[in-house]
Formats: sequence, C-alpha cells, structure tokens
Amino acid sequence: MDATDQSYAENRGAEPAGQPRVGVYICRCGGNISDVVDAEHAAEICWHIPGVVVSKVHTFMCSDPGQQSIIDDIHGEKLDRIVVASCSPFLHELTFRGAAIRGNLNPYLYEHVNIREQCSWVHKHDPQGATAKAIALIGAAVGKVRQSRPLEKIRLNNRRRALVVGGGPAGMKAAADLAGTGLPVLLVERTGRLGGKLVSPQSLFPTGIGSTQILEKLESDVRSTGRVEVLLESEISRVKGFIGNFDVTIRGPLGPSGALTDVDVSVGVIVMATGFQPYVPHDGEFLFNRHPGVITTVDFQEALACAPEGKRLVVNGREIRRAAFIHCVGSRQIEGVHEPGPDGRLNKHCSRVCCTTVLNQAIQVRRRFADTRVYDIYQDIRAYGRGHERYYSEASRAGVIFLRYHGDERPLVSAAEDQSVHVSFKDYLSWGETIDLDVDLLVLAVGMTPGPCGRIVDQLKLPRGEDGFLQEIHPKLRPVEISVNGVLLAGTAQAPMNLQESLAAAGAAAVKARAMLVKEQVELNPYVARVNTQRCEGSGECIGQCEYDGALTMVEESPGVRRARVNPGLCIGCGACVAVCPNSAIDINGWRVEQYDAMVDGLVLQNQPA
Amino acid sequence: MQAQIMEKGYADALVIGGGIAGLQAALDIADQGYKVVIVEREASIGGRMISLSKVFPTMDCASCITTPKMSAAAHHENIEIMTFTEIDSIVAGADGHVVSVTRKPTYVNAEKCIGCRLCEYACDSELPDVFEQGLGATRAISVAFTNAIPQKAVLLADYCLSCGLCLRACPTDAIEFDQRPRQERITAGSVIVATGFQLNSLTVKPQYAAAQNANVISPLTLERLLAPHGPYGRVLRPSDGKIPDSVAFVLCAGSRDQTIGVPYCSRVCCMYSIKQAMLLAGSLPMADITIYYMDIRAFGKGYEQFYQMAKAMGIHFVRGKVARVDAAPHDDLLVHVEMTEEPVDCVRRQKHDLVVLSQGMIPQWNPAGVSPVHIGEDGFVATPDTADPCATNVPGIFVAGAAAGPKDIVDTIADAGAAAMLAGRYLADRAGKSRTPPSAAGRSIRLEMAV
Ligand SMILES: Cc1cc2nc3c(=O)[nH]c(=O)nc-3n(C[C@H](O)[C@H](O)[C@H](O)COP(=O)(O)OP(=O)(O)OC[C@H]3O[C@@H](n4cnc5c(N)ncnc54)[C@H](O)[C@@H]3O)c2cc1C
Ligand SMILES: Cc1cc2nc3c(=O)[nH]c(=O)nc-3n(C[C@H](O)[C@H](O)[C@H](O)COP(=O)(O)OP(=O)(O)OC[C@H]3O[C@@H](n4cnc5c(N)ncnc54)[C@H](O)[C@@H]3O)c2cc1C
Repeated sequence: MDATDQSYAENRGAEPAGQPRVGVYICRCGGNISDVVDAEHAAEICWHIPGVVVSKVHTFMCSDPGQQSIIDDIHGEKLDRIVVASCSPFLHELTFRGAAIRGNLNPYLYEHVNIREQCSWVHKHDPQGATAKAIALIGAAVGKVRQSRPLEKIRLNNRRRALVVGGGPAGMKAAADLAGTGLPVLLVERTGRLGGKLVSPQSLFPTGIGSTQILEKLESDVRSTGRVEVLLESEISRVKGFIGNFDVTIRGPLGPSGALTDVDVSVGVIVMATGFQPYVPHDGEFLFNRHPGVITTVDFQEALACAPEGKRLVVNGREIRRAAFIHCVGSRQIEGVHEPGPDGRLNKHCSRVCCTTVLNQAIQVRRRFADTRVYDIYQDIRAYGRGHERYYSEASRAGVIFLRYHGDERPLVSAAEDQSVHVSFKDYLSWGETIDLDVDLLVLAVGMTPGPCGRIVDQLKLPRGEDGFLQEIHPKLRPVEISVNGVLLAGTAQAPMNLQESLAAAGAAAVKARAMLVKEQVELNPYVARVNTQRCEGSGECIGQCEYDGALTMVEESPGVRRARVNPGLCIGCGACVAVCPNSAIDINGWRVEQYDAMVDGLVLQNQPA
Repeated sequence: MQAQIMEKGYADALVIGGGIAGLQAALDIADQGYKVVIVEREASIGGRMISLSKVFPTMDCASCITTPKMSAAAHHENIEIMTFTEIDSIVAGADGHVVSVTRKPTYVNAEKCIGCRLCEYACDSELPDVFEQGLGATRAISVAFTNAIPQKAVLLADYCLSCGLCLRACPTDAIEFDQRPRQERITAGSVIVATGFQLNSLTVKPQYAAAQNANVISPLTLERLLAPHGPYGRVLRPSDGKIPDSVAFVLCAGSRDQTIGVPYCSRVCCMYSIKQAMLLAGSLPMADITIYYMDIRAFGKGYEQFYQMAKAMGIHFVRGKVARVDAAPHDDLLVHVEMTEEPVDCVRRQKHDLVVLSQGMIPQWNPAGVSPVHIGEDGFVATPDTADPCATNVPGIFVAGAAAGPKDIVDTIADAGAAAMLAGRYLADRAGKSRTPPSAAGRSIRLEMAV
C-alpha cells in the first residue's frame, strides 16, 4: 500500500528548520459546518494566530481540489505544519495525512480539528458561540502542531497466518477464502464437527437447496487446499498480542492419556466467526416448556425433517390438525411489555431471518400435509431479500392464513382442555377483532441472540453493542472490522444474518485479513510512550500504573542501572505512566506535555477579547 | 471508417461501476496488491450514495462518508479510474477477459483541465441539473458536482451552442471541440460487475398522478432537498416553493406489485423513508408526517430501533394501501387509502401538500449482448451458487452491491468485500497455474485519465 511512504522518506526524519509555517484550512462541509459556524470569519481571525501563514476556507476540504490546495501550499507557501478544521478525525484524519504525504510532508506534522460534531452540530442555535469555539479549538491545534515533531509508523514483523474462531458457515467460508489465496489458516471449532447451525438438515430459503449440500461444498473448499488446519472440540483458552503478533493458546479435546492438550500458536489476524444463539423462551413464555404442543422454529426444523408423510403432520406422536406460528419471539422486544433476559437486556433488534424461516416452514407443512391447517401470526412480514417475497406469495397460495398482531399487545396463550393450545389476540387484518384459536401445535419463531464467543472477548477487550453482538467499527462503512486492530468479524457474531449474508460478511472479513497478511510487516501508529533514557532512574512508578500487560517493563541495562522500556506493539499511548514519573522521563509521542501546554495557551489566547 | 482500437494492456481486475460497491471492491482488491481499473459511465465516481442527504441508521452525512472512499480509490497506487466510459463487450481471451470500452468525448483534455470551472461560469447554455434531480440548473460545460472525482469539466454536446465562450475562458486551452469517441481494450484477469440500480419511473402507476402534479416527487428529489448543500438549502415543494406542512410517504409505490413487473421488495425504501421523515421532522418541526405502508421492513442492525425512534418522534405510521392520489386545490394532494386496520370498507381521504413515492429499484445494466453473464427473472445479475453469493455463472466474473438485487449501503459493502475476495482467490489460483502472472511481467497499464 505505502509506496507513497517513500516519497516523504527524504525529509521525514528531519526537523523542519526555522519558525514553523502553519497552514490552516477550514471546511464548510457543504453547509454542515458553515450554516452555523462563520467559516470566513474564523479564517480571518486565524491569520492572527502566531505561526499561521495560510488561512483558507473550502466547501469540501476532503474533495480532491480541497486536498490539492494543501499540497500546492506546502510547496508554494513552504508550509511545514498543517491544521484542517472539518469533521470528526474518525472520518478524515487519514485523508489529510495522505495529502500531507503526497505533498512530501511528514504526516504527523498535521493536526485535525473537529468543528462539525464539536461545534456546528452541537451548538446549532448559537452560531456566535459555535464560531468562537471553533476559533479556540483551531488556536489550540495550531499551538500543538507548532510543537509537533516528525514521527514514523512503527513497523513490526507480521506472522502471516490467520486464526478463524468458529467453524460454522461463516468461519468455514473465511477459512476457505484465505487458504484459497495461499495463506495458512487455523480453524478452531468448539463442537465435534464443522457446520454450525446448518448441521441439522433442512431446506434453506431462498433457493430450497439442502443445508447438507451447502455444507459439503464449504467443507470440501476448506479441506481441498490442504492449508487449513481444523481443530475440533477446541477453544481458545488464552490470547494476547496485537495485529500481526497474536499469541494464542488453544485447548483441544482430552488426549488419549486423559490430559487436556494445549497448543500454542502465533497468528497475524483473528477472524471471529462464533455465530449466534437462538433465543430460548423463558419458562412459561407462551407456555414454552409447560406444554408439549409449544416448540420453537429450531425444534420444528428437526421435527419437520423427520415427520412421517401422511395427510396430517405428526410431531412427537401428536397429530396436528392446526398449527400456528408466532413471529418475533425474543425479537423486537418493547420495554414494559417484555421481560428482560437473565442478563437484564431486552432484545430490541429484529432478527432478520425468522420471517422467511416461518414462511419456509409453513409452506413445507402445507405442501406435505394437506389436512394440517397453518396460521401465521405476525407483526410485519419482512421478506426483504432477493427471492424472499416469493415465499410470501407462495405461502398465501398454499393456504396459510395470515393474522396480524401489534407488538405491544402480545398474543395470550393458555392450555385448552383437549390438550390443544389456546391463542387469543387482536387481529389487525380483520379490523382489530379478537381472535381465539385452538391449535395442536404452536411454533415460536425465535430470534437470534448474541453468542457467548468465549474468553477471547474479554482477553482482547472486544466491544459488544447495545444488542450484545460484537460491535463493528462503523455500522455503514466498516461492518466487518472491530476497534481491536487485527480482529475481524464474520457472520452472525456481528448481527443477525441469513446464510448468504453470513457468507458475504465472511468473504469481506477474509479480504481484510488478506490485505493485512500480504505485508511483510505491520504498521502501527507511533502514538506510544517513549522513555527519555537520560532522565529515567528506574523508579518503576510507571510500571505500577500501566494497565496493558507487557507494554512497559523494567530492564536492567547494566549492573545496577534499571530503566523502563516500552513495547510499542502493546502500548496504547494512554499516558497513565506520564502522570506518575517523578523525573518527567516518559512522554507520549505526538502527545507530549509541551504540546498540551501549547494547546492550553492556544485556547486561552483565542478567548482574549480582541 | 473503423476507428482504431487502442490496446491498454493488462489489469488484474476491472470493476464496472464506480458506486460504493465498485469503489469498495476496487479498494479491497487493490489492498491485496493487485492492479485495478474502475470503469464508470458517468463523469464522476460515487454512484447513488454521493447524492444522498444523510444515511440511515447512523445519520452520517452521505457526502462526508462517500468522499473518503472516492478519494481513497482515486489516490490508491493500484487503482486507475476511467470515467465517462461505456462497456462495449467482454469476451474470454487467453490472458483473461478482454474488455472493450468506449471513452465518450468530454471535449475537454483531461490532462490540461485543472477543474477551475471558469468555462462553467462563462457558459451561456443552461440545462436542468441531473445531480440535483432537475431542481437547479447547470451549464452545458461543467464539473459534475462540487465533490466530484475527477474534478474535470465535461461538455454536453447536445446543449452546446458552439459560441466559444468556454474556449476563451479556459486558462489552459483544455477545450477540444474535435474529440471523438475512442475505442480501447483492456485485458482483465477478473471482472467485478458493480453497476447498481436505478428507480423505475415515477409515473409507472398512473393512479398516483405524478405526471400531472409537481408535488408528487421521487425520494431522490427529497434526498437533494434534505441535503445540507442541496439546491435550495432547505425543503421547499417544487410547484410553488411553499414550505410543506403535511408530507406523505407512499411505500411500495413501485415494488411488491405484480402489475408493474416488480413483484419483489426493494429492500431500502422503508428505511430511507423513515430516515427522510426524521430529517423532515428535524427541519420542519411543525410539519405533519405520515408514512403509508404495508409492512415495515426494518431488518438490519439497529434498524428496528431506528423505526421505534421515529414512532416516538411523532411520525405517523399508517398501515394501508394507497389506492389513488388526486390533485386538490392550491397544488395540494388528496391521498386515498384503504385502511387495513379499520373497518374494511373504510377508505380514508387525507390531504397532504407533498407526496413522496417509493419507487422500485430495478437494474441499471443488462449484460445481454455485452457479456455472457446471466440475469435472474428480476433482471438483476444472477448468482447461481448459494455457497458463493457473489459469483456469477462466468468464472472470473463476480458481482457486488445492488447490481445483484436491491441492497442498502452496509450490505453492499459486505458484498463488495466478498466479491473482492473471490477475485483475489481466482487470481491467486490462476497465478499458481501459470508461471508468469501477467501483471508481474510488467505489462500493467497506466491510463491517461489518472486522477
Ligand atoms: C431456525 C432457523 C432457520 C434458518 N433457516 C435459514 C434458511 O433457510 N436460509 C438461510 O439463509 N439462513 C437460515 N438461517 C440462518 C443461518 O442459520 C445462519 O445465517 C448461519 O448459521 C450463520 O452462520 P455463522 O457461521 O455466522 O454462525 P453459526 O452457524 O452459529 O456457527 C458458529 C460456529 O461457531 C462455533 N463457536 C461458537 N463459539 C465458539 C468459540 N468460542 N470457539 C470455537 N467455536 C465456537 C459454534 O459451535 C458454531 O459451529 C436459519 C436460522 C435459524 C435459527
Ligand atoms: C432515495 C434513496 C435513499 C437511500 N438512502 C440510503 C440510506 O440512507 N442508507 C443506505 O444504506 N442506503 C440508502 N440507499 C441505498 C443506496 O443508494 C444503495 O445501497 C447504494 O447506492 C448501492 O450502491 P451500488 O454501488 O451497488 O450502486 P449505485 O450507487 O447505483 O452505483 C452504480 C454505479 O455504476 C455505474 N454504472 C452502471 N452501469 C454502468 C455501466 N454499464 N458501465 C459503467 N458504469 C456503470 C453507475 O453510473 C453508478 O456510478 C438509498 C437509495 C435511494 C434510492
């Protein structure tokens, strides 16, 4: 990727000579900023900040002309420091660092100021205040950037091998994709076989293809390259490290001697494909566990697979004259209506696959058992995907009777005298009339809930979202990446998905993994602690404060001379060590104490009345 | 006379379409170390996404999250972009897929053009601005839109008065009236079809009377009205510039309907309508906003929660099929709804001053006659292999995004990654078989349109 790195190589180490020449660029963000912040006025004021020799406004700094103006000024105006005031650095910090590189400037001599989220959006009703705040923040950034020194990315060796956790469809696909490009892969599955939820045979929507057939294809893909090592009945018992350098201990099944087998491996990336757990209704929820006629769609899948052919469906020895499905069991839960789960969480999310799963099962019942009636009690039929709507019309044609309830008026279920189940609810397809149904079988369309994922989640501090699923970096643009660099998300570990979507997500995770593994070295941001060896007297205070295992260690450099040493791969640059050093001997690259001082000065300066 | 076809050499992957699907696929292929060419028929990359206002469910400003992708692709050392270029044919060759393209004349020398727009300011010929859904005007020679990539002017010959004003205004003598279409040929190791979607016609259902009423609008028009840098900078209805105070959204106005040949669900309309309703509620706090729907399909991560939030904000969700829209006095509209939640013969008539029709999503490109790629009965590119959702019937040709059926942005991004992975696998496999992978032999291309 970084051939461009070479171009600033010639001056990247050199401290720019003389007084820093700072360029300030203020973005209107097409109105997102300038509708509130007076960008022109701010630019005018910025001319007066010490060190500023260029101050400009642009409609979209991130556009090509915007970036080009920075590059032109680096050359034309001999800029050696850049400040861009625009949106969140989360979106565009890298964009402008790239522009600096193309202008042959060290990218760490660039500061990003967020005057959108932090000014125009939050102070919409106070344009003057928002403008003043924007100016103050720019002042602080100019102060900081004047103190900035050129930095270089940290480059470390990359262990070019992938670990895939979870051998469901998503994990198998990710492993096969990576191995298919020549990379060695370790696939770790907790149970005794690959396949995840597809292990139980079923006819899959939206194609009607059998799950066994898909699994065979995926498994042959996994095995054919010879580059995937599959570890069954295994789990990750310990993991530490960082991108390019994860040390993992895998606990395998009991060996012949009865001892547990632990294997230590090192890998460069980890793909989390730990899947989902079907929602398990509470005891007594819709009579679940209390009545033999109440089962979930998961159980019904198996019941259907082994049901004998005949006029009527038979489940667990019971002949089914009428069957009903209730949608959204354990999904789309509403506060005050539903009971939270054992972890205190409500499943507010839609589980995405249940609607079409019900249609699929209902059609199969109607096709195979002419004398079994089917009722489908739903809120919204979410047959959104390609080919799904066909299942909806097909179900209507097959005689499935649709009834619609409102989420805040849950159907009431009770045991009827003749062993059947009584369901009562208001139906909004017949004008809010109360419907009372007696059925022999009630199938609860259970949603997807987050899987436990194992210890790795705590050990690597992988974040979970409010819904409990592993949390991607950006729900729109970066769905398969997570905030821990080097870890990727595949399939339903991240969110409910059907099979095709899980496989697509797995492919997307695999491609990111491959991009990381094609490099000889991994590159990390240089914002880590740095020890001033002249000053360090080995008090060890810093090590007591450090929360990141192995990031700081005390090294005996020569007899009696102990000094702190930083492992740049493990240090996250939190700065806890800086605060406690009695000799001010430790600092954070890019966030040195002088830089903070300069920021404060910059803030104060801009707040003086003119 | 047959124009000469210029051979442009080999690329590992050729991506058709520079929307978010094509950009993401190109980036993911290029990051694996392969050379990629993106072929885009319009003057700028960015696809539909760059023209949206904000995106559900994060409410990020669409420009703000699309430009980084556009810019990353444009500056990637492994990616070349050909805009204003059409695909003529894709045929199998010895070294890969031989792709013939036509570079449409822009009448501007891309190497000389510096994107200063002086030509645009000088031009006297005005036409409706397509990017703004016709709500504003643009000139016969212009840069496509503010954050377009590349920032190069394009002249539309059909509207040019040949007055020469631009010629005189251009500081770099970039204008070339004598340009002609050029045929070029690229050999591509793999191909990604990322040609996206279009909306079916606003008038596909005559009972919604869009042809007669300027205030029955497309959701794309509303996207531009809601965009912070949109044509008016605020929401005004088209007929008279009035600030609307009662807005209706009619869902499934071009989908889930056998009679118009779109029986399938367009998958994103529920969510973008809810998004637009929320944005409207933000900019017009006094307005009444109603969404007429059959089922609300809020299925993605965080979408149901987004829907519940909209309900809590006071947006009305009315379950009913809109039968007809009629003109009412003062440019207003009368919406006839069969209410399914009230007595069966209840047809309600409701007055609104702006009506938005959720048009159906249909494919933008049909490969027939150009390449052997099959399409499904819905017209979108067929994906016959359940275990490889992005593979087409042709080995080495993959599909990503809305080209394989309606899809929102996040599903498109995942899809693009999966397609890029398949391309990577395919290329690695081929490289394993032949000893000298063509790109390693130094035949990779350099295009003059480099941005
Ligand atoms: C009732 C029902 C019917 C469905 N029908 C369809 C259908 O017809 N069509 C369709 O497209 N989709 C269907 N789906 C969805 C489909 O099952 C999922 O999309 C798919 O299984 C997701 O695959 P996955 O690999 O993400 O997760 P999973 O299938 O859950 O696989 C996860 C794997 O990871 C393993 N694992 C978990 N934690 C660990 C750990 N810590 N260490 C090691 N291994 C671990 C698990 O043992 C499992 O093997 C259905 C779902 C349900 C509930
Ligand atoms: C009104 C509206 C609002 C929306 N809002 C949201 C939202 O808020 N959030 C969200 O997630 N999604 C939203 N979407 C959906 C979003 O637009 C799509 O998910 C996304 O644009 C799909 O990207 P794509 O790249 O597949 O297709 P497109 O965006 O259609 O891009 C396809 C590209 O290919 C080019 N092309 C086509 N054919 C050819 C050819 N033959 N040769 C060369 N180039 C070609 C086109 O010019 C275009 O640039 C919305 C859609 C609409 C209609």
